[in-house]
Amino acid sequence: MEFEEMQSVWQEMSAEIEKQKKITDSIIIKMTKSNYRSRLNNIRIPEMAGAFVCIAAVFFIVLNFQQLNNWYLAACGITCSLILILLPVLSLRSIHNLQAINITDNNYKQSLSDYARGKMQFVFVRKLSFYLGAILLLVTLPVMGKLIGGKDLFVTTHIWMYYVIGYPFFYAFSKWVFKKYTKSTNDAEELLKELEGL
Amino acid sequence: MHSEEQFISVIKENEGLIYKVVKLYTSAKEDEQDLYQEIVYQLWKSFNSFRNESKISTWMYRIALNTSIANLNKAKKRGIQLPISETLLNRPDFTDGSKQEKVDALYAEIRKLDPIEKGIILLHLEGNNYDEIASVTGFTSTNVGTRLGRIKQKIISQIKK
Repeated sequence: MEFEEMQSVWQEMSAEIEKQKKITDSIIIKMTKSNYRSRLNNIRIPEMAGAFVCIAAVFFIVLNFQQLNNWYLAACGITCSLILILLPVLSLRSIHNLQAINITDNNYKQSLSDYARGKMQFVFVRKLSFYLGAILLLVTLPVMGKLIGGKDLFVTTHIWMYYVIGYPFFYAFSKWVFKKYTKSTNDAEELLKELEGL
Repeated sequence: MHSEEQFISVIKENEGLIYKVVKLYTSAKEDEQDLYQEIVYQLWKSFNSFRNESKISTWMYRIALNTSIANLNKAKKRGIQLPISETLLNRPDFTDGSKQEKVDALYAEIRKLDPIEKGIILLHLEGNNYDEIASVTGFTSTNVGTRLGRIKQKIISQIKK
């Protein structure tokens, strides 16, 4: 198919679409109503619920902090609390950034540029959250072991050994997880470079 | 101040425009519905900012393309959709099967392009001149011309593969 043929195919298709007017007044009105958008905001609910769980956990740790009665348990407790605060902040911020394109005032070039920047930021936040999540898992075990079970897992179990054995698996898993992110970061970077050159 | 009646008539007049943008920027049926609704909603939200300084179609392309770009990030985070008629997104129904095949092939080739190229070629196929394409995209008219030449070559070589 040559380009001229493509153009005529497109024109024929457009003419056919024009003949097939299908949208009705009531469908248009429904689409403009804000309650449809507020339903879209349901996307935020899981993130909000996650944030609530994290904050509740922070309260639990802070209120029982005196039970973490040696330096390493206290260090785990502080790290755990900081990550539990940081994770929901990062997650909610990345959702906000995804919705940050100014649809009314931007031109296509600006929107593409905002999209590429948002994408790179999103991937960065994803990677950061993945590592923070892994650290959280490490520090939560001893903290909850002490606060809920009343045991210092570093003394009563071989928890350090599990960490050492688990590390190579985690490393391999993270490589696998980030493979697809690398491509989208590269694509976004390329798009940005191209837009800046225009 | 524009009225709801005016908006309805603008949408009805240009529903083909929305349909074609939606088809190019989505690959799954559910995404089509989502994007269609989102474009109509964004057009409604921006309707009062339209000042008749440009053609209504130029303004609509701008909003529809911006919404499609914004939607690329949200595709997997879908909210509850308004059930809209399947037939709204199922057209054109060419009785001639070979025509339908050509349309499908054309969409498939354009979808393979990067977002910059996709926007420019869509506006070109829709009959916009370089200046109109430039005003929607923010690229210069010269740049649009240069790019179009390259895009045409790219599509032809994609088809020949």
